[in-house]
Amino acid sequence: MKLYDYILSPSCYKVRLMAALAGIKLDLRAVDFHPGLEHRGPDLLSLNPAGSIPILEDGDLVLTESSAMLAYIASLSAPEWLGRASAMETAREQQWLAFSSRLTATLGGARLHEMLLRPGDIAALQAGGVASLRELEAGLVEQRLAGQAFLVTDRPTIADIACFPYVALAPDGGVSLDPYPAIRLWSRAIRSLKGFIEMPGIHRLHELKPEPHLEQDEA
Amino acid sequence: MRSDTTGFWTPVALSADLPAGTVIPARMAAGTIALWRSQTGHIAASADRCPHRGMSLSHGFVRGEVLSCIYHGWSYGRAGNCLRIPAHPGLTPPDAIRVVTHDVRDTGGIVWVASGIPAGDPPDLDGFTPLRSLTADADRAALALAAGAQADEDGRLVTNIAGQDLCLLLADQPEGRTLIHVLVRSGSDAAARIAASRSVERLRRMAESASHKGGVQ
Amino acid sequence: MTAQTTLQQAMPHQAPPHQAPPHQAMIDEWYPVGLVSQLDRSGRHTALMGEPIVVSGDDAGNPLVTGGNGRILPVKVRYGHVWSSLGTPTKDIFSIPEADQPGRRFVDVGVVRVRCSPLRAVENFLDIAHFPFVHTDVLGAEPHTEVQNYTAEIRADVDEVWATQVKFYQPQASKSASGGITTEYMYRVPAPTCSVLYKTCPPRPSEWDVITLFVQPLAEDLCDVWPWMALFDDETSMTDLIHFQQMIFLQDRSILENQIPRLLPLDPGMEIPTRADLTSIAYRRWLKRHDYTYGAQLVAR
Repeated sequence: MKLYDYILSPSCYKVRLMAALAGIKLDLRAVDFHPGLEHRGPDLLSLNPAGSIPILEDGDLVLTESSAMLAYIASLSAPEWLGRASAMETAREQQWLAFSSRLTATLGGARLHEMLLRPGDIAALQAGGVASLRELEAGLVEQRLAGQAFLVTDRPTIADIACFPYVALAPDGGVSLDPYPAIRLWSRAIRSLKGFIEMPGIHRLHELKPEPHLEQDEA
Repeated sequence: MRSDTTGFWTPVALSADLPAGTVIPARMAAGTIALWRSQTGHIAASADRCPHRGMSLSHGFVRGEVLSCIYHGWSYGRAGNCLRIPAHPGLTPPDAIRVVTHDVRDTGGIVWVASGIPAGDPPDLDGFTPLRSLTADADRAALALAAGAQADEDGRLVTNIAGQDLCLLLADQPEGRTLIHVLVRSGSDAAARIAASRSVERLRRMAESASHKGGVQ
Repeated sequence: MTAQTTLQQAMPHQAPPHQAPPHQAMIDEWYPVGLVSQLDRSGRHTALMGEPIVVSGDDAGNPLVTGGNGRILPVKVRYGHVWSSLGTPTKDIFSIPEADQPGRRFVDVGVVRVRCSPLRAVENFLDIAHFPFVHTDVLGAEPHTEVQNYTAEIRADVDEVWATQVKFYQPQASKSASGGITTEYMYRVPAPTCSVLYKTCPPRPSEWDVITLFVQPLAEDLCDVWPWMALFDDETSMTDLIHFQQMIFLQDRSILENQIPRLLPLDPGMEIPTRADLTSIAYRRWLKRHDYTYGAQLVAR
């Protein structure tokens, strides 16, 4: 399975993260998104006319939407990551997968503007980001009140992975996460999952491992 | 805002939002603090700035009974004293390296931080249980107007929305914002709690809308 | 709380002509303002120390930099970047002899904007003690946190800050490294917002890899960072080299945006250095000596 990837792209990271959690090895093909704008070049446009990354290739299958990639990876080797136990789970999963594109448009746009100098109306992007974060916070509060730690149910699903990266990286775009305690707990629960991997801007939770000590002969 | 005492308690977070082994930022009127709970459950509040290179300590991590800075791993105990400088494993940090700490209490499901030396204990919450915290881009007056009730000198505002008693604990934040801790009657069921959460979202929207129109002085 | 400057806010400000501008020493320095490879006629609209500038190229690829009132600013092309100055530079851009050495690959890493003082960005680049906590499992890992003694000095003959014999255990020192090694570093600060790092070169033990941080000061608390590299590495693709360095720098960015104050404190009472911070101590002393104080905080507030 080949992923056209950019280390700083939260959308690409969704796919790397899901693959790591599902135990699937990806063949990563680095795309010079910045500064080279390779995703807008003829080779990648012929693969994805939308000019976006990630792109996932598996045999004849070519996917250009990250939510579809998450569903594909989970269906192949981690079906427990799909919310399919009831009509309500299915619906909630679809709800948050669709919601995740609003995070990309707002928080993702603010991040590209503030970090990589891409054009955009920064005040509108940040205001949209705050509105999305408030909606997510309210949703997570209601889930907690129902005894569920994740967006769809009491276990993580692809909907959590679809929403997590742009939320965790909101401060890169000048949007603070300080006012959202439910998002903080949810984010921590995701970062504590076995097999979790980071991307630049999301630090390791050093507390998950006890403080390591040098062996005498190493010192 | 009270002015009569030498100190007062600010409600900064719900106890449930600060699990063991975590650190969070908390805004006081005077600035941000790093609020943390050790692995064994002891709570502490310090200045949100590592004296080494100025990094925010609320971005750090809690291992066991110490708070560490994410930048260089300098570690601090609950009393604010520096315990470890990883770049110099053999060095016992001098006592002069420390962060300012604040008195902190965890009662009634709320974490309270002292400004100055409060005369007594944090206020009693008489039969209310914390539900959630949220921040409004509106000041206390705008929230009072939207709620149809005034806050007392402890920032406690009791109102009734759609037949449900709500207690809001208000804490002033920088830039005209207000931190709202929402409490419901103890024993409320899940449906009532969700209804309360939505009521306060609505109240926040009203207060912010009024503030942004300049309708609240 | 430190006031935040946006680029839009930073641009309109100019030193009034009737008073001697502060920061004259830094005004007369060269700064990176764009990539040569990305010059075009429409131009890059950016800023230098609060003044709006436009960096463009003509059809022949010659760079042109204009200041806020349309005046033509000095321009040079060096190390893959266009350099300019608001003042009258008395010196040429510092030399990096390795940039002329055959066999090296030159990597334009691209710009990253950071909401911090340009001086804080450089100081972080000079620091190794953060590697285990910020670049975990790449440039450092617990329990290998100790910083061994090294030498840092202001070299009078060249008037540069140098740190030598810096050694650190690294799990993955570079894109081409396959396992943990103890890496040796030398650091050099030849200009107030630029640093050059010389680092163990695994494929060629007799040479040093060169990694630089060129910082364009937009405002005192806002900068564009242009990393650039001159490496011996025939294996790794150019894109992988770019991504490795972008990964490293983006791990630093969230630190730099959360230091308080945003400006670099030059008052010794404001922050507590240790022996591991000798390079930073020398850098701060050198800045103070030359009045390189744009982006610095002189007295505790």
